[in-house]
Amino acid sequence: MDATFKIRRFDPEDKQDPHYEDFNVELPEYGSVLEGLLDIREQQDGTLSLRCSCKSAICGSCSMKINGESRLACKAMVSEIKELEGDLITIEPMGNMPVIKDLVVDMDSFWHKVESVEPYLQPKGPEPEKEYLVSNDQMMTLAVAMNCIMCGACVSDCTVLEVDSNFLGPAALAKAFRFAADPRDGAQEKRLEMYDQPDGVWDCTRCFMCVQACPKDVAPMERIMDIRSMAVEKGISKGRGMKHIQGFINGVKHSGRLDEFGLARKTYGFPLWPFMLAPMGIRRLLRKRLPPIFHKSIAGAKNVKKIFENLGV
Amino acid sequence: MPQHQVLIIGGGLAGMRAAQKAQELGMDVAMVSKIFPTRSHSAAAQGGVQAAVSDDDSWEAHAYDTIKGSDYLGDQDAIEILCSEAPGDIYSLERMGVVFNRTPEGKIDARAFGGTSVKRTCYVADQTGQVLLHVMWEQLMKSQLKVYSEWFVTELIIEDNKVAGCVAIEIPTGKIEVFRAKAVILATGGIGQVYSPTTNGLVVTADGQALAYKAGATLMDMEMVQHHPTTMKANGVLLTEGARGEGAYLLNSKGERFMEKYAPNMKELASRDVVSRAETMEIREGRGVDGCVFLDLRHLGRDLIMTKLSQIYELARDYANTNILEAPVPIQPGHHYIMGGIKTDVDGRTWDQTGSNRWAGVEGLFAAGECANVSVHGGNRLGGNSLLDTIVFGRRAGEGSVGYAQSNEYIQFNEEQAKKRTEDRIKELFSRPAGGLRSANLRNEMGTAMNEGIAVFRNQDGMQKALDTVRVVREKYPNISLDNKGKIFNTDLLAALELEYMLDVAEVIGVGAVERKESRGAHAREDYPERNDAEYLKHTMVHKSDDGSPILGYMPVTMTKWEPQVRTY
Amino acid sequence: MRYAFWPGCVSKAGTPELYPAATAVAEKIGMELVELDQANCTGAGVLGERNEELVDTLNARNFAIAEQMGLDTILTICSTCQGVMSAVNYKLREKPEYLAKINQNLAAEGLEYKGTVRVTHMMWAIVEELSLEELGKMVVRPLTGLRIAPFYGCYILRPRYVLGMSEHPDRNQYLEKIIETLGAEPIDYEGKLKCCGFPIMTLNEENGLKMVSNHTLEAKDKGAHALVTPCPLCHLNLDEFQPKASSMSGKPINMPVLHLPQLIGAALGFNVKEMGLKRHIVSTDKFIEISGMS
Repeated sequence: MDATFKIRRFDPEDKQDPHYEDFNVELPEYGSVLEGLLDIREQQDGTLSLRCSCKSAICGSCSMKINGESRLACKAMVSEIKELEGDLITIEPMGNMPVIKDLVVDMDSFWHKVESVEPYLQPKGPEPEKEYLVSNDQMMTLAVAMNCIMCGACVSDCTVLEVDSNFLGPAALAKAFRFAADPRDGAQEKRLEMYDQPDGVWDCTRCFMCVQACPKDVAPMERIMDIRSMAVEKGISKGRGMKHIQGFINGVKHSGRLDEFGLARKTYGFPLWPFMLAPMGIRRLLRKRLPPIFHKSIAGAKNVKKIFENLGV
Repeated sequence: MPQHQVLIIGGGLAGMRAAQKAQELGMDVAMVSKIFPTRSHSAAAQGGVQAAVSDDDSWEAHAYDTIKGSDYLGDQDAIEILCSEAPGDIYSLERMGVVFNRTPEGKIDARAFGGTSVKRTCYVADQTGQVLLHVMWEQLMKSQLKVYSEWFVTELIIEDNKVAGCVAIEIPTGKIEVFRAKAVILATGGIGQVYSPTTNGLVVTADGQALAYKAGATLMDMEMVQHHPTTMKANGVLLTEGARGEGAYLLNSKGERFMEKYAPNMKELASRDVVSRAETMEIREGRGVDGCVFLDLRHLGRDLIMTKLSQIYELARDYANTNILEAPVPIQPGHHYIMGGIKTDVDGRTWDQTGSNRWAGVEGLFAAGECANVSVHGGNRLGGNSLLDTIVFGRRAGEGSVGYAQSNEYIQFNEEQAKKRTEDRIKELFSRPAGGLRSANLRNEMGTAMNEGIAVFRNQDGMQKALDTVRVVREKYPNISLDNKGKIFNTDLLAALELEYMLDVAEVIGVGAVERKESRGAHAREDYPERNDAEYLKHTMVHKSDDGSPILGYMPVTMTKWEPQVRTY
Repeated sequence: MRYAFWPGCVSKAGTPELYPAATAVAEKIGMELVELDQANCTGAGVLGERNEELVDTLNARNFAIAEQMGLDTILTICSTCQGVMSAVNYKLREKPEYLAKINQNLAAEGLEYKGTVRVTHMMWAIVEELSLEELGKMVVRPLTGLRIAPFYGCYILRPRYVLGMSEHPDRNQYLEKIIETLGAEPIDYEGKLKCCGFPIMTLNEENGLKMVSNHTLEAKDKGAHALVTPCPLCHLNLDEFQPKASSMSGKPINMPVLHLPQLIGAALGFNVKEMGLKRHIVSTDKFIEISGMS
């Protein structure tokens, strides 16, 4: 099987701007993009720079954009990509990180953000002599987040990081969840407060890019939602994020449908909400698209309310 | 010039353990790694780490299994330390945050593994290495270890047979820097890329062994190279022994569980050399398909596979196009590990600190992990003992280095000259005319020859042929030319430097292999099929002479309680 | 083609032009919509931040109601509703023990979800069940000369495995195909598969507005006359917040944003009032002019 790789090249020592170069590769039936890149670097053009090692999706070195989506090159099967997207495969370095050369990016800020969530156990009280006694279930809940191999694919595709480089990002926050949910850790409250701050969990826009990109099923966005859930449930989160969720809950719980007006009021609170909503409200009025101020319930609203109550919400 | 009391070269599990211990004991420590530490191949270890944590187990039983597994080539004093200190180290790792699978009582659970009499392999699903590595890295973030990440070491600086520092290239910039240190610990991992195929990652290129050998240290038992029984044909990647630990079968083309013939008791869980040989014989005798036999996990059921073996489910799906829930996956023996390595004592010292000069070493130079040979694995390593080796002896090397650094001074040397040696080497490589040979092709030539001649079954001609090929390839080395003469992230240059390391080490493997005229552990000779304790209960010791050629010698195995016995499973 | 119709909470409220446009177009193309007026909000991703079992129960309730009505397919007109429902349905069908647990939560109302419902979006139904060919035949006012930039919305794109993309791998190109069938030219730009920023508007308005301005300005740069989206929440953000996004970025945008039914309706011969094109915040006059609608 052969394919054409269109690779974004950039060498700071070169006088050229970043540009694309095409390479033809011949691969066995189950060949990966990484195998193709190695063939290029070993046999065709030794100036191609990329990071790689294990070839089995565990070291996390070879994350890059393949046809616009961030993934591990060693896990991207060329035959599958060709079938779905055609013979030309575009290969670019990860996004949201500065490029050092070709497919190699500077991951310093990535590592700093992971470090900033304090990713190490902070024991509560004296340590046991042997091991902490915990259930297998509790440990396996953490195992999902522990699957993370720090490849950077999630950060590379994150739509919030694209507009705001201060956001902690999916990798750091998935790691944060792993510690916030560890029964052996004594700093849960402090952690939830830390992750509740600006640039933390409430900055995620729920776009699923990280869930799609992650090669190890960590689903970072879901882990971020898990932290939000924990923070709200423990009463630690008191800001607008919590109020927005509560406003949503109020509407659906009592009427079965989203009450937009009520949601806006609860989110912004008094006396802010008239000022936040006024300019928009006037525009809407002019276009005859104000949401109803008096919100209608569905017939089965009582049943919906019971569902909420039975689940403790 | 950067200067640190203890300098650790290599950022995998052993290096991290050494760093942690040395820091704990108050040293100024730094780590130099040619890749970001979490990319180290320790992450690829799947099945688990052995420790006698269960009530119905004992470290003595673990030691016996290890000694038997080593085919009696392991040094029993070192093995006693490995096994007796194991439980303490495992508990300490758990307290640091490792998420082990648990028993119903909440204690660390253990699974069965090859060559072990009791279930004693502690595990985290089938990604134990990755979890251990990341937890250690997190601890080092906490203790703020100084890491020179993506720096490639080109030379150990030796003065008067003492280590003084090293020279390294900063890969992202091409800058060459000289480091001064009192103690240097090599923790650079195995030699995988010397073989083709291999389960090892692309960065596993025998750097530490070659650096130590060049510096004057001894490489011990290098012919003891392990082929793992279950590697995938497509890309050489490993499928954990834990699968067989959980009950998977090995089948030939007729669907027979052939291990019943070769190891009637332990069957699929015999030691790795026994299983690899069994598979090879089945394949040779026409009961394989396409050079493979089969690993069958269907009877284990979805729940078990998806919880405890999820990684290999994905690996088989992605790289062998096989759904292990529904079909057996084709596997074959593939290079995986080297029991041999830089000779050290039980505290990681590469030199004989008793002063008796029983072997050639370099003062101040330590080694730990796969690149070292204490020896705890002897002629064959049990699964789960390598992770343990890195954890126990990584820590001990860290401790050892502290003692040395505290009682020794920095050594003066000519910084400019040291730097110039590396600069000149690079200049020479860059100056070669275009259109020459490519490093990768020479590497493949060496790798294929080694895999044919010094693998599961060996004989004099085959081994000699491999050794000769290695020497021929070495002669072709000056004809390599590089495409890339830039400074920034020049992997073309690194590949050439790594090839040089591998050729040196491949030669040492060959030299030891042809001379050991017996079968022991992984060194299975068709021309000498029996184990010969009378003549060969000793370690192969190779160090470099002044003219560059290998000098072969031997040293007896240290025995404490266990007499060599016939080894059957 | 008969469907249980879930209009979503916003199509009659926050974006009230969508409901009449969608129902009119559905009738024209032969889709019979039986409205699920007893169904509840899907949670829109927000309720899941509080409690996942709650979201699974609420959506199972809707599925059970559809089953009770004898309908096996729910049709949505909102990417977000589609995404949430698809994810829940996937989970419930994959894990029968979990479905049993959820059904316990519904038992009090006498409801039980048997796992037979499939959830589709009008955009998918048009391509997969009506067919582009049939749609093409119904076009009376080809949108020639119009350049339209598609904007899908995250919840109808990711994660692929719950959205049926293994059977229909080109669901992430349907907007372009529909645009072409209607006679217009689809615009290719990077923002088409990205996020509009709606979920963070109350939490980090600046970032949300940057997303709005980035995508609309990029489409504008590439020569688009209008954006089209199958999600009213994306519409809310890209249209309603566009003036604010524009002033924050310091650049004029003036990019009209159409709901998918409005675009289709324009080509099928509906007029401006029927499609509610004057009810947007950002004026659609340019689109109306080029299309020749009255």
